[in-house]
Amino acid sequence: MSNSTVTKTGDRLVVLHRVSKTYRKGDEIIKALDGVDVTLAEHGMVAIVGVSGSGKSSLLHIIGAMDRPSSGEVMVAGQSLTELPESGLMRYRRQTVGFVFQSFNLIPNLSALENVMLPMEFNGIVRAERRARALALLDRVGLRQRLTHRPRELSGGEQQRVAIARALANNPPLILADEPTGNLDSKTGQMIYELLKEISRERTVIVVTHAEALAQMADRVLPIKDGRLQAVAWEKEQASSEILGGSRHA
Amino acid sequence: MIRLGLRNLLRSKPRLILVALLIGIPFFLLLVMQAIGTAVAQQTRLLQQNVDNTLQLRARGAMGHVNMVGNENLLPHESFNQVRAVEHVAKVEPYLLAMTPTTGHNFAMIVGVTPGDTKRLESHGEAGTPKIIAGRDLTDADRGQKVAVIGQGVAKWAGITVENVGHAILNLDLKRTHPVIFALDRPPATLKVVGIYASGYVFGDMQLFIPLDTFRDIYGFPRGISWLFVKADSAEYLPAVEQKLKAMLGEVADIIAPTHVAEFQNTATRAVLRLARGGIVLAAVLTIIVVFFVMLLVVRERAWEIGTLKALGASNDGIVVSFLTEALALCVLGAFLGLLLFAAWGGPIAQHTFGVGIAPFLPAQYKDTLATALSLSSSIAPATLALLTGTCVIAAAAGSVWSIRQIILLSPMEAIRRE
Repeated sequence: MSNSTVTKTGDRLVVLHRVSKTYRKGDEIIKALDGVDVTLAEHGMVAIVGVSGSGKSSLLHIIGAMDRPSSGEVMVAGQSLTELPESGLMRYRRQTVGFVFQSFNLIPNLSALENVMLPMEFNGIVRAERRARALALLDRVGLRQRLTHRPRELSGGEQQRVAIARALANNPPLILADEPTGNLDSKTGQMIYELLKEISRERTVIVVTHAEALAQMADRVLPIKDGRLQAVAWEKEQASSEILGGSRHA
Repeated sequence: MIRLGLRNLLRSKPRLILVALLIGIPFFLLLVMQAIGTAVAQQTRLLQQNVDNTLQLRARGAMGHVNMVGNENLLPHESFNQVRAVEHVAKVEPYLLAMTPTTGHNFAMIVGVTPGDTKRLESHGEAGTPKIIAGRDLTDADRGQKVAVIGQGVAKWAGITVENVGHAILNLDLKRTHPVIFALDRPPATLKVVGIYASGYVFGDMQLFIPLDTFRDIYGFPRGISWLFVKADSAEYLPAVEQKLKAMLGEVADIIAPTHVAEFQNTATRAVLRLARGGIVLAAVLTIIVVFFVMLLVVRERAWEIGTLKALGASNDGIVVSFLTEALALCVLGAFLGLLLFAAWGGPIAQHTFGVGIAPFLPAQYKDTLATALSLSSSIAPATLALLTGTCVIAAAAGSVWSIRQIILLSPMEAIRRE
């Protein structure tokens, strides 16, 4: 089976070329990713789906520069992550991507507002502007009334909305969400997906998920198995071809 | 990030109090040790002033009395200036001694001293300080004058009373002999008695003090010295001065030095000071160890947070600054708590600690009294605050080194480890 996906013309935000990731576990070498080629456009929602251990999170972490590939090239927003030094990767994580974690990962002793302001502080934005932008983002995710609440005082859905606002803080072109509804009930999960879907109209949102139903909301689905992308969901990709791009190699 | 570090302190108040207490106890110990060290140093300065730190030099193998049979050898005249030039010598007092028969087999001692110098009694090894009971002491104006301050025993023998001091005359016949005194072919001398002293014992009262120049004139010894009393500037340097004098004059002089007392004092106080300094270092190391484990625990607990911060784009420097701020703030809180404990109970505990610590080194009779004799204070001097501040900074930095390394090595992937 081909380990590639369809390319559609359009602005390319993410380009992966023959990306592999291997881990050593004792004497055994585990291939988390095996020669992945994929190109993603500047807008839209992409769902990476697959069973546990298929390599979907590894792919997300490599795109997010949380981890480095063993081989291959990763280009995001015109910059090659493979060549970036650690300081460049730090700036990349700060300015180009926003993370949404399954367990929300909000700093427990900071309020919702302060959590959203935090990435902007790393980016050197002045306090007044940080506050104004954080207020606007929390307003957008419907948490204007919960500004001063600490994470433990918020529900799971509210915490994830704060995390989404935080991911948007530095206005990155790419949002990466790793099982964002994994710790939420289905109704709340649906709300989060709708929020991510809305955000994907202005930037690229890549979501790793187990949930088949939620994946159906994505503009493009990238099934992954044993570290290799699978050529399925053609209809959906073609239907959303106005937004997304990809190439299929033999 | 500094603000974040400070806010991290308040995550759990009970834990903050526990950690501050854990750090506060070594700081309390540090303050106790510092108080002991300061008190001992003060006491040492007093002791060094009061311990007998005077050496005596005599011509080798002789008593150095100008007319004593077989003991008439004197120290070289140059030895006075040579000794004065030795490092840590504070004062040098030259004596010239002679003897004169009194009644039966008894005799009196004539001592030539520089007016203003200490008048020491020399009689069968006993020593003491004479007290003027009538008239006056020798003064600078008496240099070269035929005047004397005599013991009350000599006064009684010569028939001089308290009432006629200042007018009484004493005759010295240098030709008179005695089983241990040989005659000197010198004219007799007439001395005006300007003062009478009492020493408290019979032999001590049988001395005459006359100006050194007068002695040289009467006895015909323009050069030479019977005894040199050499005072070291502190008991601490007494052994060193003794060594130098031995090297310089060992071939011509016997040196009598109270080094045992000085060395005991030096050794005892040095041992206590070292114990106190060791205690301070130990307390500081203890603080570093507590900070080390606290920060290690904190970094392990918050590994996912550190990973999250890195995933959000925080720099290693920023995260390190926040954790160092937290460590420093914990140390400052600990130091403050230690300071409060010290202000409340520092004095008595320092006293008790000192007593327990020093007891094995002391003779039994001092064990109960020394601890209470030491003036231990729980007041905070500027030097103490400087010590606390320095220890806070060092403990926070040194105690966090390993944790900082862990922080730098942590990957942003730690953010997802909790999932």
